[in-house]
Amino acid sequence: MSESSKLSHTAALILQTIDQGCSYGFDIMDATGLPSGTVYPALRRMEADGLIASQWESEKKALAEQRPARKYYRITRPGTEVLEQAQKRYPLLNRLVAKPRR
Amino acid sequence: MAPSSKRSLWLLLCRSMLRVAGCLVPPSQREGWRQEWQSEIFHRHQFLLRAGCWSKREAFLLCRRCCGAFPDALWHVTAQEQLRVKLRERIRSPLMCLASIVAAIVLLGILTRGLPAFQNLLRTGTDGNNARLLFIWFHPSAGGGDEGIPPDAVTAWAARSKLLESVAPFVVGHPHLKAAGVIAQPLLVRTQASFFRVLGTKPLLGVLPTKRGVVLTHSVWKSLYREDRRALGAEIQLGRDVYHVSAILPDSFSFLSRQPSVYLVQDFLSDAQVMVVGRIKQGVTEKSLDRELTRIAESACYYFFRAQLRFSFFREAAWIPCWIFVIAASASGLLVLLVSRVPLRRLLHVWRSNQRLAVIRRVAFFLSKVLLAFLFVFALALEWSRSESAILFGSRDPAAGPFLLWAYIVGTMGVLFWSVADQRARCRVCLRLLCFPVRVGCPGCLLLNWSGTELFCPEGHGLMHVPDLAPSWDEEAERWISLDDSWKSLFIETR
Repeated sequence: MSESSKLSHTAALILQTIDQGCSYGFDIMDATGLPSGTVYPALRRMEADGLIASQWESEKKALAEQRPARKYYRITRPGTEVLEQAQKRYPLLNRLVAKPRR
Repeated sequence: MAPSSKRSLWLLLCRSMLRVAGCLVPPSQREGWRQEWQSEIFHRHQFLLRAGCWSKREAFLLCRRCCGAFPDALWHVTAQEQLRVKLRERIRSPLMCLASIVAAIVLLGILTRGLPAFQNLLRTGTDGNNARLLFIWFHPSAGGGDEGIPPDAVTAWAARSKLLESVAPFVVGHPHLKAAGVIAQPLLVRTQASFFRVLGTKPLLGVLPTKRGVVLTHSVWKSLYREDRRALGAEIQLGRDVYHVSAILPDSFSFLSRQPSVYLVQDFLSDAQVMVVGRIKQGVTEKSLDRELTRIAESACYYFFRAQLRFSFFREAAWIPCWIFVIAASASGLLVLLVSRVPLRRLLHVWRSNQRLAVIRRVAFFLSKVLLAFLFVFALALEWSRSESAILFGSRDPAAGPFLLWAYIVGTMGVLFWSVADQRARCRVCLRLLCFPVRVGCPGCLLLNWSGTELFCPEGHGLMHVPDLAPSWDEEAERWISLDDSWKSLFIETR
């Protein structure tokens, strides 16, 4: 069984949100409307599966702005492939997530 | 705009929640985990402050988001490989099997609020006051099924019997009840004033009615009137008629296994047949009582043959489920012994060898597993047979009826089949569930080669050969092959 067929609708939605530019946990919650108890464990699982990767932002930049550094998530190459397959399985996925204001 | 340094109580609450949830996260990941959550909270707080949207509602929503830190922390706990291995080991252990059955019994106790039917059985079966109380009904010579007694015959018994101390008729029904703004359909007993005298009951509140009135059980008083003393004298509509509450029964009162909740006392019962409860005098035998009651009924123009009147003492009736269970368990045990081909001969052989301790352990585990599962089935079926839903299946009072018998037969059979299958799927030495199933051979080449499945003990004590097809004459089709200590290191590595 391929990885994409295991991806639930919720996980696909979160992956789609990250792909569209929501990089932080709370932003993903805002975009998807999912509770934090669903989003964070899903992020951990997808990170463990290699679909997304996390990184801390630069300490220097955060210190200059007098705030703590944030951890952001980005989609990986295997994640993009899995998302493409998931979009075929869930055609309405693109419509569910609002495009972020960049 | 400079960020506000004002510390909110809500933020403190969020941080405290993170601190508590953080205790669950493994120490190696705790710092990073806490930092991620705290920075997200900080940024959200600052964003809302700058946008001028920070309000109580937003603060509450932020706190609600922080609740997600607990499932997130739990994910970190369950994601640990060591913990997973430990859990797998625990699930396979024999103690976990026994603990899960005990947990099921405890859960049943919680769901039924303390196993009321089981408690009632013990209370009724051991109460000395019930030794002389009995149910009387009519069993026709031809045709099946028990029937009630004509009410005129009961009136004649009450007036002329010298062997009965007192006797009262009663009818069980399900009329619509309307009281305190609630409409319900409780189990109701219609009876006469002598009923409570027969049972020797004293009310908790009020006076037992001598002609007409309603008597409520403690549970109904609690649920309908919230234990308000003003319930006495309150109006209750039963069907189309209105009555007044005369008395409340004590919490310890119990009558019939299905526990009626409302008692309606009437001048007379107009039903064609009624059930009868009576109290006999000291030293009266069933035979003499049968003779006297038949003779009195004759004088009231009701002719019963000898032994058509049936008697069931309260105490004996209470223990009927136990006897039914013993019969069902014995029948199921014999059936399972025949069908499952339990290798008793091999057990005896092992007993005679030097592996006596292992046999004692296996037998002790099997017996404790069966006994605990039997206790669960006994309590579950007893509680279920007393529920309203069981009435559909036709179980009757005072005895438990065919529903309970079938529930016990099916339940005990299921327990025994499962216990034997579970025992076979366990290591012969440490009693852990076998794992790593490996298919061996080709099912199409049965004549040339052995084909089946091999299962291993996770501790490396041995492996089990389970053939795809077992001939009926081969009692030892499943073979257990013991492995010596030299194999152990291999299994420890693979765990």
